Amino acid sequence: MNSERLEGRLAGIVGVDHVVAAESCAPYAVDDKAPKAVVFPADAAELSEVMKLASSEQLSVVPWGSGTKISLGGIPARVDLVVGLKRLNQIIDYEPGDLTATFQAGMLLRDAQTSLHSSGQFLPFDPAHCERATIGGILATNSSGPWRHRYGTARDLVIGIRVVHADGTLTKGGAKVVKSVSGYDMNKLYVGSLGTLGIILEATLRLYPLPAVERTWIALFLTGEAAACAVAQILHSTIVCTRVELLSSFAAQSVGRPAGCTLPADTVAVAVSVGSMLEAVDAQIAAIRKFCYQEGGVAGFLVEGSAQESLWRAICDFPSASGDGWSWATLKASVPLTKVLETIHRAEALGRDLGLESTAVSDAGCGIVRLYWRGETGSLERDPALVAKRVEDLRSWVVLNGGSLVILSAPPAIKAKVDVWGPVGNALFLMQELKQRFDPQGLLNPGRFVGGI
Amino acid sequence: MVEGLAAIVGREWVISDPVELAVYECDGMTYLEKALPDVVVLPDGTEQVAEVVKLCDREQLPFLPRGAGTGLSGGAIAVQGGVIIGLNRMNRILEIDLANQRAVVEPGLVNIAMTQAVVDRGYYFAPDPASQAASSIGGNVAENAGGPHCLKYGTTTMHILGLELVLASGEIVQVGGKTLDCPGYDLTGLFVGSEGTLGIATKVTVRLLRQAEAVKTLLASFRTIDAASEVVSEIIATGIIPSALEMMDRHIIKALEEWLQIGYPEGSGAVLLIELDGPTAEIEAHTKRIERICAQHGVLDLRIAKDEQERTLLWKGRKGAVAAVGRITHEFYLQDGVIPRTTLPQVLRDVEAISERNALVIANVFHAGDGNLHPLICFDSRREGELQRAIAAGAEIMGLCLSVGGSITGEHGIGMEKIDFVPLMYSPDDLEAMRRVRVAFDPSLRCNPGKLLPTTRSCSEANVAYRPHRVEREGLSQRY
Repeated sequence: MNSERLEGRLAGIVGVDHVVAAESCAPYAVDDKAPKAVVFPADAAELSEVMKLASSEQLSVVPWGSGTKISLGGIPARVDLVVGLKRLNQIIDYEPGDLTATFQAGMLLRDAQTSLHSSGQFLPFDPAHCERATIGGILATNSSGPWRHRYGTARDLVIGIRVVHADGTLTKGGAKVVKSVSGYDMNKLYVGSLGTLGIILEATLRLYPLPAVERTWIALFLTGEAAACAVAQILHSTIVCTRVELLSSFAAQSVGRPAGCTLPADTVAVAVSVGSMLEAVDAQIAAIRKFCYQEGGVAGFLVEGSAQESLWRAICDFPSASGDGWSWATLKASVPLTKVLETIHRAEALGRDLGLESTAVSDAGCGIVRLYWRGETGSLERDPALVAKRVEDLRSWVVLNGGSLVILSAPPAIKAKVDVWGPVGNALFLMQELKQRFDPQGLLNPGRFVGGI
Repeated sequence: MVEGLAAIVGREWVISDPVELAVYECDGMTYLEKALPDVVVLPDGTEQVAEVVKLCDREQLPFLPRGAGTGLSGGAIAVQGGVIIGLNRMNRILEIDLANQRAVVEPGLVNIAMTQAVVDRGYYFAPDPASQAASSIGGNVAENAGGPHCLKYGTTTMHILGLELVLASGEIVQVGGKTLDCPGYDLTGLFVGSEGTLGIATKVTVRLLRQAEAVKTLLASFRTIDAASEVVSEIIATGIIPSALEMMDRHIIKALEEWLQIGYPEGSGAVLLIELDGPTAEIEAHTKRIERICAQHGVLDLRIAKDEQERTLLWKGRKGAVAAVGRITHEFYLQDGVIPRTTLPQVLRDVEAISERNALVIANVFHAGDGNLHPLICFDSRREGELQRAIAAGAEIMGLCLSVGGSITGEHGIGMEKIDFVPLMYSPDDLEAMRRVRVAFDPSLRCNPGKLLPTTRSCSEANVAYRPHRVEREGLSQRY
């Protein structure tokens, strides 16, 4: 179907105002591949019709929330149609007494929080770009931030889901209650599947009460080893932290600034937050302080109020404030807790070898390490094969230690040279089998997921 | 077949004597259906499980895994005969890695043994189904078991990070791992709660949690269920998430008083058991708040455990609740349904109406914090029509849960018991999506057939004969 005819067919479903075609599609390119058209359905019925059209015309489809994580995944095999979900932006159901709410996929996390905050509750998601991220995008990518330490990720919070499949069929999984073991836990299948099995239409999530008081302690250390020891002490104590981050020096300096903390160069920082009633927060912050000084902390700051908000926003969004004018590759390593520091050190050494600066922001209590390699604009693309090789080197070590290493974002030239996901083990054929049964035509995000799915 | 199995595991680990097989005719669900397996085999190790499954494949026999047999929905009943693979010999702890808060265990390990192995070092395994002294971790995985403390810590699925599986083909695969966010589809999450229909877990990687600094247990008695329900709502609205929040109604209170003389105050229509855990300063502050809330709602009596011994005493009633009901009725049908917490008072009034309509006592003990009801429908099958009425009342309660947006099971599973209610909760398209999962893992459909997913009457891919369920035979529900 030529693009004019496609535009007409889509306009017939959603109205001419909600279709973008031809050159205007450029901002929706995925790894430099621009779609033939972008369509914004208003509801489930329109989305279903769009998918029926896509499947009858064999058009590949990229679901799109706000595009903050579009760099995740392999280079797509084809990009015919982008399906934007921004018009599906409502809270369907919210009963504060149940601590659950149902959101449409295109709803901005920010808007969801505004509604929940008025009832003293929140959705404990704090992925990168949380000002622009959508609920559906967070679910599809299972993206997370520091709050995962206390609250888990989308995998742990989604209790019910509605999905539009490749052929336009609409199905649901789970329920609107916090506990249900009726049938397979389909929530788990769709969360983190990068839109390759279906497009998430809406989801019911477990919520949490906002803590009465929340405070953060930042401690500085001269060595990563000292910082890691302090973290281990905290993790194996009875202190209940909401967030536990280990930041290597460049990241620490960068995120300290908006919070009004001037951190000296060459220090490693540990940031820990506690949320509870005032007396419990004070007691636990005091205990954290003590651990940090015991392990060789050289300075510390108590951060609260708006400075605390700025600090955590900067940690989640790193390196956004300092990102301009540079070329970046962002990796996510998931390793045993005891391997966090070594992962950071190895990434630094490999980065140095490439002539790149390396820094890390780590959810140290979960073993999640976000690694950043930075060079002057264009420097990463100069020898993509070598960068790819270094990613593989780091990955081999991580995998040997029982972990995984995923490229969160990198210039397409690098993604072309290395599998962004890495090995998935001997169950890959089950994943391929699932994909085959859910999307036999291979229309949903082809090529972007593991093993070429 | 017996010889083939004996060649794999040794003759002494194959059970084929009809008398001995009778032990395996049902699990914890004893009232709806029973069925004898053709043979029971007790392998030791993944390789033996895989060999047994391959033999089943060659012989085209259905098979199913079985842990301790404590399941309450009939998931471990060999409804189509075949081979029961008992995992009881595979009960070792293979690795404890406290620095990384993980352990790797075999599926036959009894739940409580996991905690016992690490409690001295300040750790525990959070899922605590009522059966935890007997049930196996493999069974907990199959059923996604709950328990009173999952209100704060989540059900089994949140504590399982990786699995080694033997698929219906006999292939051995690893899903998930010791680390989080493994790339690819979350097959671990998909497998937990699959009731033995996707394969057999032969190794389980679990998350271990640090024990809380302090625990506080409160027992509050109220004149009415409504007053107790309001207290539940207010506790949650205050922003407190107790580690357990359990309620018992007047029938349970009466049965417990007659048996254990717990000393609930005269006129108690509802008892709330509230447990808090966390940093001392936090639970002290929360306890004060809860005391105030209880007082505002006319609490008759509020006891706070001062030590572990008193804590055990306060839990005694809750733990003995189901057994106590056994003393006031010949038999009971233990139901399991979930409703949004805020609908509790209305739903309990409706359950009362169902009780009156069917002229049967329905006692209620439940996880009030997460809206997970456990009505115990009392009946005496020796009296004409009572079993049918009990089943009918159970079906009405299921309908009630669904009418308020809830679920037909919170922790017991579908098994055989609820297979006919599944289409009331899910559309044919929803079920088709689940069948795709089933078939991706087990195209032969020989892995625990007849559970979890209803077979359609016209099911073309199933090689299993359509067989009406008892509920269906009684004309109380039908298959679609």
